[in-house]
Amino acid sequence: MTTIRTFMTDDHHRCDEFFAEAEQAIGKKNIEAARASFGHFRTAVLAHFDSEEKTLFPTFEAKTGMTMGPTQVMRMEHQQMRDLMSQAQAAIDAGDTDEYMGQAETLLIMMQQHNMKEENMLYPMCDQHLSAELPAILERLETELCAE
Amino acid sequence: MLSFENAPPFSAPLRFFLTAPLFAVLAGLLLVIEGPVVFASRWTPGALAATHLLTVGFMLQVMLGALIQVLPVVAGADLPRPLALARAVHVGLTGGGLLLVGGFWFGLPWALAGGALLLGLTVFLFLIVMWRALLGVPSTSPSIRGIKFALLGLAVVVGLGLLMALALAEGWPLPLPLLADLHAGWGLAGWAGVLLAAMAYVVVPMFQLTPGYPARPSWWFPLAILAALLVWSIGVVFDLPWLVRASQLAAAVAGITFAGLTLRLQGKRRRAKADATYRYWQMGMMASILALLMLGIAAVWPAASELDGWTIGFGILIVAGGFLSFIVGMLYKIVPFLAWMHLQNYGATKATAPAMPRLMPDVEVNRQMQAYGVALVLLLAAVVFPDWLGRLAGLAFALANGGLAWVLFRAVGRYRQAWLDMTLKLAIKKK
Repeated sequence: MTTIRTFMTDDHHRCDEFFAEAEQAIGKKNIEAARASFGHFRTAVLAHFDSEEKTLFPTFEAKTGMTMGPTQVMRMEHQQMRDLMSQAQAAIDAGDTDEYMGQAETLLIMMQQHNMKEENMLYPMCDQHLSAELPAILERLETELCAE
Repeated sequence: MLSFENAPPFSAPLRFFLTAPLFAVLAGLLLVIEGPVVFASRWTPGALAATHLLTVGFMLQVMLGALIQVLPVVAGADLPRPLALARAVHVGLTGGGLLLVGGFWFGLPWALAGGALLLGLTVFLFLIVMWRALLGVPSTSPSIRGIKFALLGLAVVVGLGLLMALALAEGWPLPLPLLADLHAGWGLAGWAGVLLAAMAYVVVPMFQLTPGYPARPSWWFPLAILAALLVWSIGVVFDLPWLVRASQLAAAVAGITFAGLTLRLQGKRRRAKADATYRYWQMGMMASILALLMLGIAAVWPAASELDGWTIGFGILIVAGGFLSFIVGMLYKIVPFLAWMHLQNYGATKATAPAMPRLMPDVEVNRQMQAYGVALVLLLAAVVFPDWLGRLAGLAFALANGGLAWVLFRAVGRYRQAWLDMTLKLAIKKK
Protein backbone atom coordinates (compact mmCIF):
# COMPACT_ATOMS: atom_id res chain seq x y z
CA MET A 1 0.00 0.00 0.00
CA THR A 2 1.25 3.49 -0.80
CA THR A 3 1.81 5.61 2.27
CA ILE A 4 3.25 9.07 2.72
CA ARG A 5 6.40 7.37 3.90
CA THR A 6 6.84 5.12 0.86
CA PHE A 7 5.78 7.76 -1.65
CA MET A 8 8.04 10.50 -0.34
CA THR A 9 10.95 8.07 0.24
CA ASP A 10 10.74 7.05 -3.42
CA ASP A 11 10.94 10.71 -4.36
CA HIS A 12 14.08 11.09 -2.20
CA HIS A 13 15.64 8.23 -4.14
CA ARG A 14 14.70 9.84 -7.45
CA CYS A 15 16.59 12.98 -6.33
CA ASP A 16 19.59 10.86 -5.20
CA GLU A 17 19.73 9.34 -8.67
CA PHE A 18 20.06 12.76 -10.36
CA PHE A 19 22.72 13.72 -7.81
CA ALA A 20 24.73 10.58 -8.61
CA GLU A 21 24.42 11.23 -12.36
CA ALA A 22 25.85 14.72 -11.95
CA GLU A 23 28.76 13.42 -9.89
CA GLN A 24 29.51 10.66 -12.38
CA ALA A 25 29.50 13.16 -15.23
CA ILE A 26 32.02 15.28 -13.31
CA GLY A 27 34.10 12.13 -12.82
CA LYS A 28 34.12 11.68 -16.62
CA LYS A 29 35.01 15.38 -17.03
CA ASN A 30 31.77 15.93 -18.95
CA ILE A 31 30.79 19.25 -17.47
CA GLU A 32 27.87 19.82 -19.84
CA ALA A 33 26.22 16.55 -18.80
CA ALA A 34 26.98 17.36 -15.16
CA ARG A 35 25.27 20.73 -15.49
CA ALA A 36 22.20 19.12 -17.02
CA SER A 37 21.99 16.42 -14.32
CA PHE A 38 22.54 18.93 -11.55
CA GLY A 39 19.75 21.02 -13.10
CA HIS A 40 17.36 18.03 -12.95
CA PHE A 41 18.49 17.34 -9.41
CA ARG A 42 17.89 20.88 -8.22
CA THR A 43 14.47 21.09 -9.88
CA ALA A 44 13.41 17.77 -8.35
CA VAL A 45 14.63 18.72 -4.87
CA LEU A 46 13.01 22.15 -4.96
CA ALA A 47 9.71 20.60 -6.08
CA HIS A 48 10.00 18.12 -3.21
CA PHE A 49 10.64 20.91 -0.68
CA ASP A 50 7.75 22.95 -2.09
CA SER A 51 5.22 20.15 -1.85
CA GLU A 52 6.32 19.45 1.72
CA GLU A 53 6.21 23.09 2.78
CA LYS A 54 2.95 23.92 0.99
CA THR A 55 0.98 20.70 1.27
CA LEU A 56 2.31 18.10 3.68
CA PHE A 57 3.65 20.17 6.58
CA PRO A 58 0.68 22.59 6.84
CA THR A 59 -1.77 19.65 6.86
CA PHE A 60 0.29 17.93 9.56
CA GLU A 61 0.54 21.13 11.59
CA ALA A 62 -3.19 21.85 11.32
CA LYS A 63 -4.08 18.34 12.41
CA THR A 64 -1.61 17.99 15.30
CA GLY A 65 -1.19 21.60 16.41
CA MET A 66 2.62 21.09 16.33
CA THR A 67 3.76 24.18 14.47
CA MET A 68 7.12 24.69 16.16
CA GLY A 69 8.10 21.03 16.24
CA PRO A 70 9.74 18.76 13.66
CA THR A 71 8.28 20.55 10.62
CA GLN A 72 9.98 23.77 11.68
CA VAL A 73 13.37 22.08 11.89
CA MET A 74 12.79 20.45 8.49
CA ARG A 75 12.01 23.89 6.99
CA MET A 76 15.25 25.24 8.42
CA GLU A 77 17.22 22.38 6.92
CA HIS A 78 15.48 22.93 3.57
CA GLN A 79 16.80 26.49 3.65
CA GLN A 80 20.34 25.26 4.36
CA MET A 81 20.11 22.87 1.42
CA ARG A 82 18.73 25.60 -0.86
CA ASP A 83 21.82 27.67 0.03
CA LEU A 84 24.16 24.75 -0.62
CA MET A 85 22.48 24.08 -3.96
CA SER A 86 22.90 27.74 -5.01
CA GLN A 87 26.60 27.57 -4.13
CA ALA A 88 27.00 24.29 -6.04
CA GLN A 89 25.13 25.80 -8.99
CA ALA A 90 27.45 28.83 -8.99
CA ALA A 91 30.49 26.53 -8.91
CA ILE A 92 29.31 24.32 -11.75
CA ASP A 93 28.29 27.35 -13.82
CA ALA A 94 31.80 28.74 -13.36
CA GLY A 95 33.26 25.35 -14.36
CA ASP A 96 35.02 25.04 -10.98
CA THR A 97 34.73 21.28 -10.46
CA ASP A 98 36.78 21.16 -7.23
CA GLU A 99 34.55 23.72 -5.60
CA TYR A 100 31.50 21.89 -6.92
CA MET A 101 32.66 18.55 -5.48
CA GLY A 102 33.24 20.18 -2.09
CA GLN A 103 29.76 21.70 -2.02
CA ALA A 104 28.25 18.47 -3.35
CA GLU A 105 29.90 16.37 -0.64
CA THR A 106 28.48 18.63 2.06
CA LEU A 107 25.09 18.76 0.38
CA LEU A 108 24.92 14.97 0.06
CA ILE A 109 25.50 14.28 3.75
CA MET A 110 23.21 17.13 4.81
CA MET A 111 20.52 15.78 2.52
CA GLN A 112 20.92 12.14 3.59
CA GLN A 113 20.71 12.85 7.30
CA HIS A 114 17.72 15.09 6.65
CA ASN A 115 16.00 12.38 4.59
CA MET A 116 16.69 9.87 7.32
CA LYS A 117 14.91 12.00 9.92
CA GLU A 118 11.94 12.44 7.57
CA GLU A 119 11.75 8.81 6.50
CA ASN A 120 12.16 7.32 9.97
CA MET A 121 10.28 9.84 12.04
CA LEU A 122 8.30 12.59 10.37
CA TYR A 123 6.65 10.58 7.56
CA PRO A 124 5.57 7.77 9.91
CA MET A 125 4.10 10.49 12.17
CA CYS A 126 2.28 11.92 9.15
CA ASP A 127 0.93 8.50 8.20
CA GLN A 128 -0.24 7.98 11.75
CA HIS A 129 -1.96 11.35 12.23
CA LEU A 130 -3.28 11.90 8.71
CA SER A 131 -4.79 8.48 8.01
CA ALA A 132 -8.21 10.00 7.25
CA GLU A 133 -6.78 12.51 4.77
CA LEU A 134 -4.31 10.04 3.22
CA PRO A 135 -5.92 9.48 -0.22
CA ALA A 136 -6.45 13.22 -0.78
CA ILE A 137 -2.92 14.17 0.30
CA LEU A 138 -1.28 11.44 -1.79
CA GLU A 139 -3.22 12.61 -4.82
CA ARG A 140 -2.04 16.17 -4.32
CA LEU A 141 1.56 15.15 -3.72
CA GLU A 142 1.44 13.03 -6.86
CA THR A 143 0.23 15.93 -9.01
CA GLU A 144 2.84 18.24 -7.52
CA LEU A 145 5.79 15.88 -7.80
CA CYS A 146 5.08 14.03 -11.01
CA ALA A 147 4.14 17.14 -12.98
CA GLU A 148 7.50 17.67 -14.68
CA MET B 1 8.39 13.99 22.40
CA LEU B 2 11.08 14.13 19.81
CA SER B 3 12.27 17.61 19.11
CA PHE B 4 14.51 17.00 16.04
CA GLU B 5 16.72 19.82 17.22
CA ASN B 6 18.43 18.00 20.03
CA ALA B 7 21.85 17.74 18.40
CA PRO B 8 24.40 17.88 21.24
CA PRO B 9 27.14 20.55 21.12
CA PHE B 10 30.19 19.69 18.96
CA SER B 11 32.45 19.33 21.97
CA ALA B 12 30.32 16.44 23.32
CA PRO B 13 31.37 13.81 20.73
CA LEU B 14 34.57 15.58 19.66
CA ARG B 15 36.43 14.99 22.94
CA PHE B 16 36.13 11.21 22.37
CA PHE B 17 37.23 11.43 18.73
CA LEU B 18 40.32 13.46 19.61
CA THR B 19 41.37 11.25 22.54
CA ALA B 20 41.02 7.90 20.75
CA PRO B 21 43.98 8.27 18.32
CA LEU B 22 46.28 9.10 21.24
CA PHE B 23 45.55 5.69 22.77
CA ALA B 24 46.44 4.05 19.45
CA VAL B 25 49.70 6.04 19.37
CA LEU B 26 50.44 4.66 22.85
CA ALA B 27 49.79 1.12 21.58
CA GLY B 28 52.35 1.69 18.82
CA LEU B 29 54.88 3.10 21.27
CA LEU B 30 54.32 0.12 23.56
CA LEU B 31 55.35 -2.15 20.69
CA VAL B 32 58.46 -0.04 20.12
CA ILE B 33 59.41 -0.28 23.81
CA GLU B 34 58.54 -3.94 24.39
CA GLY B 35 59.59 -5.20 20.98
CA PRO B 36 59.21 -8.79 19.71
CA VAL B 37 58.10 -10.23 23.08
CA VAL B 38 54.59 -8.81 22.58
CA PHE B 39 54.15 -11.07 19.55
CA ALA B 40 55.13 -14.17 21.54
CA SER B 41 51.75 -14.72 23.23
CA ARG B 42 48.42 -12.99 23.79
CA TRP B 43 48.92 -13.44 27.54
CA THR B 44 52.08 -11.30 27.81
CA PRO B 45 51.61 -8.07 29.81
CA GLY B 46 52.48 -6.06 26.68
CA ALA B 47 49.94 -7.85 24.47
CA LEU B 48 47.17 -7.49 27.07
CA ALA B 49 48.00 -3.80 27.50
CA ALA B 50 48.16 -3.15 23.73
CA THR B 51 44.86 -4.96 23.15
CA HIS B 52 43.08 -2.80 25.72
CA LEU B 53 44.72 0.39 24.47
CA LEU B 54 42.98 -0.31 21.15
CA THR B 55 39.69 -1.81 22.33
CA VAL B 56 39.01 0.38 25.37
CA GLY B 57 41.19 3.38 24.53
CA PHE B 58 40.25 3.68 20.88
CA MET B 59 37.14 1.66 20.01
CA LEU B 60 35.08 2.17 23.17
CA GLN B 61 35.93 5.92 23.22
CA VAL B 62 34.72 6.55 19.69
CA MET B 63 31.73 4.22 19.93
CA LEU B 64 30.31 5.81 23.08
CA GLY B 65 31.03 9.34 21.81
CA ALA B 66 29.37 8.58 18.48
CA LEU B 67 26.32 7.04 20.19
CA ILE B 68 25.78 10.23 22.19
CA GLN B 69 25.78 12.07 18.85
CA VAL B 70 23.67 9.76 16.69
CA LEU B 71 21.05 8.41 19.08
CA PRO B 72 18.74 11.40 18.56
CA VAL B 73 19.05 11.17 14.75
CA VAL B 74 18.90 7.40 14.31
CA ALA B 75 16.45 6.49 17.06
CA GLY B 76 14.73 9.81 17.77
CA ALA B 77 15.62 9.29 21.42
CA ASP B 78 16.35 12.33 23.54
CA LEU B 79 19.40 12.37 25.79
CA PRO B 80 18.57 14.81 28.57
CA ARG B 81 22.02 16.38 29.22
CA PRO B 82 24.37 15.24 26.47
CA LEU B 83 27.29 17.48 27.42
CA ALA B 84 27.28 16.48 31.09
CA LEU B 85 27.05 12.81 30.06
CA ALA B 86 29.90 13.23 27.56
CA ARG B 87 32.12 14.88 30.18
CA ALA B 88 31.55 12.19 32.78
CA VAL B 89 31.90 9.26 30.37
CA HIS B 90 35.01 10.73 28.75
CA VAL B 91 36.81 11.25 32.05
CA GLY B 92 35.83 7.79 33.29
CA LEU B 93 36.85 6.04 30.07
CA THR B 94 40.16 7.84 29.75
CA GLY B 95 41.14 7.45 33.41
CA GLY B 96 39.82 3.90 33.67
CA GLY B 97 41.45 2.90 30.39
CA LEU B 98 44.86 4.24 31.41
CA LEU B 99 44.69 2.56 34.83
CA LEU B 100 43.63 -0.78 33.34
CA VAL B 101 46.39 -0.69 30.75
CA GLY B 102 48.94 0.34 33.38
CA GLY B 103 47.75 -2.54 35.54
CA PHE B 104 48.30 -5.05 32.72
CA TRP B 105 51.59 -3.63 31.50
CA PHE B 106 53.32 -3.17 34.84
CA GLY B 107 51.54 -5.97 36.70
CA LEU B 108 49.88 -3.73 39.30
CA PRO B 109 46.84 -5.45 40.87
CA TRP B 110 45.50 -2.21 42.37
CA ALA B 111 45.59 -0.43 39.00
CA LEU B 112 43.97 -3.38 37.25
CA ALA B 113 41.12 -3.56 39.75
CA GLY B 114 40.81 0.24 40.04
CA GLY B 115 40.77 0.72 36.26
CA ALA B 116 38.22 -2.04 35.75
CA LEU B 117 35.99 -0.64 38.51
CA LEU B 118 36.16 2.87 37.07
CA LEU B 119 35.37 1.56 33.57
CA GLY B 120 32.54 -0.57 34.94
CA LEU B 121 31.04 2.40 36.75
CA THR B 122 31.36 4.66 33.71
CA VAL B 123 29.76 2.16 31.35
CA PHE B 124 27.03 1.46 33.90
CA LEU B 125 26.20 5.19 34.01
CA PHE B 126 26.19 5.33 30.20
CA LEU B 127 23.93 2.29 29.95
CA ILE B 128 21.46 3.70 32.48
CA VAL B 129 21.14 6.94 30.50
CA MET B 130 20.81 5.07 27.18
CA TRP B 131 18.30 2.63 28.61
CA ARG B 132 16.10 5.48 29.89
CA ALA B 133 16.35 7.30 26.55
CA LEU B 134 15.46 4.18 24.56
CA LEU B 135 12.74 3.02 26.92
CA GLY B 136 9.78 4.40 24.97
CA VAL B 137 11.37 3.99 21.52
CA PRO B 138 9.88 1.12 19.49
CA SER B 139 12.32 -0.88 17.33
CA THR B 140 10.94 0.36 14.02
CA SER B 141 14.20 -0.16 12.13
CA PRO B 142 16.97 -2.78 12.22
CA SER B 143 19.33 0.00 13.33
CA ILE B 144 17.34 0.81 16.46
CA ARG B 145 17.06 -2.84 17.42
CA GLY B 146 20.73 -3.32 16.62
CA ILE B 147 21.70 -0.51 18.98
CA LYS B 148 19.60 -2.02 21.77
CA PHE B 149 21.21 -5.46 21.26
CA ALA B 150 24.68 -3.91 21.12
CA LEU B 151 24.11 -2.18 24.47
CA LEU B 152 23.25 -5.57 25.93
CA GLY B 153 26.54 -6.87 24.53
CA LEU B 154 28.34 -3.91 26.11
CA ALA B 155 26.88 -4.76 29.52
CA VAL B 156 28.09 -8.37 29.24
CA VAL B 157 31.61 -7.62 27.94
CA VAL B 158 32.22 -5.04 30.68
CA GLY B 159 30.71 -7.30 33.35
CA LEU B 160 32.98 -10.19 32.30
CA GLY B 161 35.98 -7.88 32.11
CA LEU B 162 35.35 -6.56 35.60
CA LEU B 163 34.99 -10.09 36.94
CA MET B 164 38.29 -11.18 35.38
CA ALA B 165 40.20 -8.07 36.49
CA LEU B 166 39.05 -8.58 40.08
CA ALA B 167 39.87 -12.30 39.85
CA LEU B 168 43.38 -11.47 38.63
CA ALA B 169 43.91 -8.83 41.29
CA GLU B 170 42.50 -10.91 44.13
CA GLY B 171 43.70 -14.32 42.95
CA TRP B 172 40.22 -15.88 42.63
CA PRO B 173 40.29 -19.34 41.04
CA LEU B 174 38.48 -18.82 37.71
CA PRO B 175 39.11 -20.46 34.30
CA LEU B 176 40.61 -17.23 32.93
CA PRO B 177 41.55 -18.37 29.37
CA LEU B 178 38.01 -19.64 28.70
CA LEU B 179 36.49 -16.48 30.16
CA ALA B 180 38.91 -14.29 28.20
CA ASP B 181 37.73 -15.85 24.92
CA LEU B 182 34.12 -15.32 25.93
CA HIS B 183 34.89 -11.72 26.97
CA ALA B 184 36.50 -11.10 23.59
CA GLY B 185 33.53 -12.70 21.83
CA TRP B 186 30.98 -10.51 23.60
CA GLY B 187 33.14 -7.42 23.09
CA LEU B 188 34.07 -7.86 19.44
CA ALA B 189 30.93 -9.59 18.13
CA GLY B 190 28.14 -8.73 20.59
CA TRP B 191 29.03 -5.11 21.24
CA ALA B 192 31.34 -3.82 18.49
CA GLY B 193 30.12 -6.07 15.65
CA VAL B 194 26.42 -5.55 16.26
CA LEU B 195 26.87 -1.79 16.77
CA LEU B 196 28.91 -1.63 13.57
CA ALA B 197 26.12 -3.40 11.66
CA ALA B 198 23.48 -1.09 13.14
CA MET B 199 25.53 1.90 11.99
CA ALA B 200 26.37 0.34 8.61
CA TYR B 201 22.65 -0.03 7.82
CA VAL B 202 22.49 3.76 8.03
CA VAL B 203 25.85 5.05 6.82
CA VAL B 204 26.74 2.71 3.93
CA PRO B 205 23.72 3.73 1.80
CA MET B 206 24.08 7.32 3.04
CA PHE B 207 27.77 7.92 2.34
CA GLN B 208 28.12 5.79 -0.78
CA LEU B 209 24.62 6.00 -2.29
CA THR B 210 24.28 2.22 -2.39
CA PRO B 211 20.95 0.36 -2.29
CA GLY B 212 19.72 -0.18 1.27
CA TYR B 213 20.55 -3.37 3.18
CA PRO B 214 17.89 -6.02 2.51
CA ALA B 215 15.44 -6.08 5.42
CA ARG B 216 15.54 -9.75 6.41
CA PRO B 217 19.32 -10.20 6.94
CA SER B 218 19.54 -6.83 8.68
CA TRP B 219 16.91 -7.84 11.22
CA TRP B 220 18.47 -11.27 11.69
CA PHE B 221 22.17 -10.44 11.94
CA PRO B 222 22.14 -8.93 15.47
CA LEU B 223 19.86 -11.71 16.68
CA ALA B 224 22.09 -14.41 15.18
CA ILE B 225 25.19 -12.95 16.84
CA LEU B 226 23.44 -12.64 20.18
CA ALA B 227 22.13 -16.20 19.98
CA ALA B 228 25.61 -17.53 19.10
CA LEU B 229 27.09 -15.69 22.09
CA LEU B 230 24.43 -17.00 24.47
CA VAL B 231 25.11 -20.56 23.31
CA TRP B 232 28.86 -19.93 23.65
CA SER B 233 28.29 -18.71 27.22
CA ILE B 234 26.25 -21.83 28.03
CA GLY B 235 29.08 -23.92 26.61
CA VAL B 236 31.56 -22.21 28.95
CA VAL B 237 29.34 -22.52 32.03
CA PHE B 238 28.59 -26.23 31.47
CA ASP B 239 32.07 -27.01 30.16
CA LEU B 240 30.99 -28.20 26.70
CA PRO B 241 33.90 -27.43 24.33
CA TRP B 242 32.04 -28.67 21.22
CA LEU B 243 29.19 -26.22 21.93
CA VAL B 244 31.68 -23.38 22.30
CA ARG B 245 33.25 -24.28 18.96
CA ALA B 246 29.90 -24.66 17.21
CA SER B 247 28.81 -21.20 18.37
CA GLN B 248 32.15 -19.67 17.30
CA LEU B 249 31.62 -21.16 13.87
CA ALA B 250 28.08 -19.75 13.75
CA ALA B 251 29.33 -16.28 14.74
CA ALA B 252 32.04 -16.46 12.05
CA VAL B 253 29.52 -17.46 9.38
CA ALA B 254 27.13 -14.64 10.41
CA GLY B 255 29.99 -12.13 10.34
CA ILE B 256 31.24 -13.25 6.92
CA THR B 257 27.69 -13.06 5.57
CA PHE B 258 27.32 -9.49 6.80
CA ALA B 259 30.72 -8.47 5.40
CA GLY B 260 29.97 -10.13 2.07
CA LEU B 261 26.62 -8.39 1.86
CA THR B 262 28.26 -5.04 2.59
CA LEU B 263 30.90 -5.62 -0.09
CA ARG B 264 28.15 -6.47 -2.59
CA LEU B 265 26.23 -3.29 -1.74
CA GLN B 266 29.40 -1.21 -2.03
CA GLY B 267 29.93 -2.73 -5.46
CA LYS B 268 26.59 -1.17 -6.47
CA ARG B 269 27.41 2.28 -5.14
CA ARG B 270 26.32 5.22 -7.28
CA ARG B 271 29.10 7.60 -6.26
CA ALA B 272 31.80 8.21 -8.81
CA LYS B 273 34.65 8.91 -6.43
CA ALA B 274 36.30 6.19 -4.31
CA ASP B 275 36.93 8.33 -1.24
CA ALA B 276 38.84 7.50 1.94
CA THR B 277 35.73 6.32 3.75
CA TYR B 278 35.03 3.78 1.01
CA ARG B 279 38.66 2.62 0.83
CA TYR B 280 38.94 2.30 4.61
CA TRP B 281 35.76 0.21 4.62
CA GLN B 282 37.08 -2.02 1.85
CA MET B 283 40.29 -2.53 3.82
CA GLY B 284 38.25 -3.25 6.98
CA MET B 285 36.03 -5.72 5.15
CA MET B 286 38.98 -7.68 3.71
CA ALA B 287 40.74 -7.85 7.08
CA SER B 288 37.54 -8.88 8.92
CA ILE B 289 36.73 -11.61 6.43
CA LEU B 290 40.26 -13.03 6.83
CA ALA B 291 39.97 -12.87 10.62
CA LEU B 292 36.56 -14.55 10.58
CA LEU B 293 37.88 -17.29 8.30
CA MET B 294 40.60 -17.90 10.90
CA LEU B 295 37.94 -18.05 13.61
CA GLY B 296 35.96 -20.55 11.56
CA ILE B 297 39.02 -22.68 10.82
CA ALA B 298 40.04 -22.76 14.48
CA ALA B 299 36.48 -23.78 15.45
CA VAL B 300 36.59 -26.76 13.08
CA TRP B 301 40.26 -27.56 13.67
CA PRO B 302 41.25 -26.34 17.17
CA ALA B 303 44.94 -27.21 16.70
CA ALA B 304 45.22 -24.20 14.36
CA SER B 305 45.02 -21.78 17.27
CA GLU B 306 48.12 -23.44 18.75
CA LEU B 307 50.16 -22.35 15.72
CA ASP B 308 52.73 -19.61 16.33
CA GLY B 309 51.20 -16.17 15.97
CA TRP B 310 47.71 -17.47 15.10
CA THR B 311 45.79 -15.65 17.84
CA ILE B 312 47.93 -12.49 17.67
CA GLY B 313 47.44 -12.43 13.90
CA PHE B 314 43.69 -12.86 14.36
CA GLY B 315 43.63 -10.00 16.89
CA ILE B 316 45.57 -7.65 14.60
CA LEU B 317 43.31 -8.47 11.65
CA ILE B 318 40.01 -7.99 13.47
CA VAL B 319 40.93 -4.99 15.66
CA ALA B 320 43.56 -2.96 13.78
CA GLY B 321 42.52 -4.19 10.32
CA GLY B 322 38.76 -4.39 10.80
CA PHE B 323 37.22 -2.24 13.49
CA LEU B 324 39.78 0.58 13.50
CA SER B 325 39.50 0.91 9.71
CA PHE B 326 35.70 1.10 9.85
CA ILE B 327 35.83 3.66 12.64
CA VAL B 328 38.46 5.91 11.05
CA GLY B 329 36.58 5.73 7.73
CA MET B 330 33.44 7.00 9.45
CA LEU B 331 35.29 9.67 11.44
CA TYR B 332 36.48 11.18 8.15
CA LYS B 333 32.87 11.92 7.23
CA ILE B 334 31.36 12.59 10.64
CA VAL B 335 33.91 15.09 11.96
CA PRO B 336 33.91 17.48 8.96
CA PHE B 337 30.13 17.20 8.65
CA LEU B 338 29.53 18.03 12.31
CA ALA B 339 31.98 20.92 12.05
CA TRP B 340 30.18 22.24 8.98
CA MET B 341 26.74 21.78 10.57
CA HIS B 342 27.64 23.65 13.75
CA LEU B 343 29.22 26.48 11.73
CA GLN B 344 26.20 26.67 9.44
CA ASN B 345 23.79 26.81 12.36
CA TYR B 346 25.93 29.53 13.90
CA GLY B 347 26.02 31.62 10.74
CA ALA B 348 22.31 30.99 10.11
CA THR B 349 21.54 32.52 6.71
CA LYS B 350 23.85 35.49 7.18
CA ALA B 351 27.32 33.93 6.95
CA THR B 352 28.32 30.85 4.93
CA ALA B 353 30.32 27.99 6.40
CA PRO B 354 33.25 26.52 4.42
CA ALA B 355 32.38 23.21 2.69
CA MET B 356 33.50 19.94 4.30
CA PRO B 357 36.66 19.31 2.22
CA ARG B 358 37.91 22.77 3.18
CA LEU B 359 37.72 21.80 6.82
CA MET B 360 39.39 18.42 6.21
CA PRO B 361 41.22 18.28 2.87
CA ASP B 362 41.37 14.99 0.91
CA VAL B 363 45.17 15.24 0.58
CA GLU B 364 45.69 14.97 4.34
CA VAL B 365 43.13 12.21 4.71
CA ASN B 366 44.58 10.13 1.86
CA ARG B 367 48.12 10.47 3.16
CA GLN B 368 47.02 9.23 6.59
CA MET B 369 45.18 6.31 5.03
CA GLN B 370 48.28 5.23 3.11
CA ALA B 371 50.34 5.41 6.29
CA TYR B 372 47.74 3.30 8.07
CA GLY B 373 47.76 0.70 5.30
CA VAL B 374 51.56 0.42 5.51
CA ALA B 375 51.40 0.09 9.31
CA LEU B 376 48.83 -2.69 9.04
CA VAL B 377 50.90 -4.68 6.55
CA LEU B 378 53.97 -4.27 8.77
CA LEU B 379 52.04 -5.42 11.84
CA LEU B 380 50.88 -8.56 10.05
CA ALA B 381 54.38 -9.25 8.73
CA ALA B 382 55.73 -8.75 12.26
CA VAL B 383 53.58 -11.68 13.41
CA VAL B 384 55.77 -13.89 11.19
CA PHE B 385 59.06 -11.99 11.73
CA PRO B 386 58.70 -10.40 15.19
CA ASP B 387 62.44 -10.00 15.74
CA TRP B 388 62.97 -8.04 12.55
CA LEU B 389 59.74 -6.13 12.24
CA GLY B 390 58.12 -5.91 15.68
CA ARG B 391 59.53 -2.53 16.68
CA LEU B 392 59.33 -1.08 13.18
CA ALA B 393 55.65 -2.06 12.92
CA GLY B 394 55.00 -0.40 16.28
CA LEU B 395 56.67 2.79 15.09
CA ALA B 396 54.66 2.78 11.84
CA PHE B 397 51.43 2.23 13.77
CA ALA B 398 52.25 5.08 16.18
CA LEU B 399 53.03 7.39 13.25
CA ALA B 400 49.86 6.49 11.32
CA ASN B 401 47.72 7.17 14.37
CA GLY B 402 49.66 10.32 15.14
CA GLY B 403 48.70 11.27 11.59
CA LEU B 404 45.05 10.62 12.41
CA ALA B 405 45.28 12.85 15.49
CA TRP B 406 46.97 15.53 13.36
CA VAL B 407 44.27 15.43 10.65
CA LEU B 408 41.52 15.67 13.28
CA PHE B 409 43.18 18.45 15.30
CA ARG B 410 43.86 20.43 12.10
CA ALA B 411 40.18 20.14 11.16
CA VAL B 412 39.19 21.45 14.58
CA GLY B 413 41.68 24.31 14.15
CA ARG B 414 40.10 25.25 10.82
CA TYR B 415 36.67 25.01 12.41
CA ARG B 416 37.74 27.47 15.14
CA GLN B 417 39.24 29.82 12.55
CA ALA B 418 36.05 29.72 10.47
CA TRP B 419 34.02 30.44 13.61
CA LEU B 420 36.13 33.56 14.24
CA ASP B 421 35.86 34.68 10.60
CA MET B 422 32.10 34.25 10.69
CA THR B 423 31.82 36.14 13.98
CA LEU B 424 33.62 39.04 12.33
CA LYS B 425 31.38 38.87 9.27
CA LEU B 426 28.23 38.80 11.39
CA ALA B 427 29.46 41.78 13.45
CA ILE B 428 30.14 43.81 10.29
CA LYS B 429 26.73 42.93 8.88
CA LYS B 430 25.05 44.09 12.11
CA LYS B 431 26.64 47.51 11.73
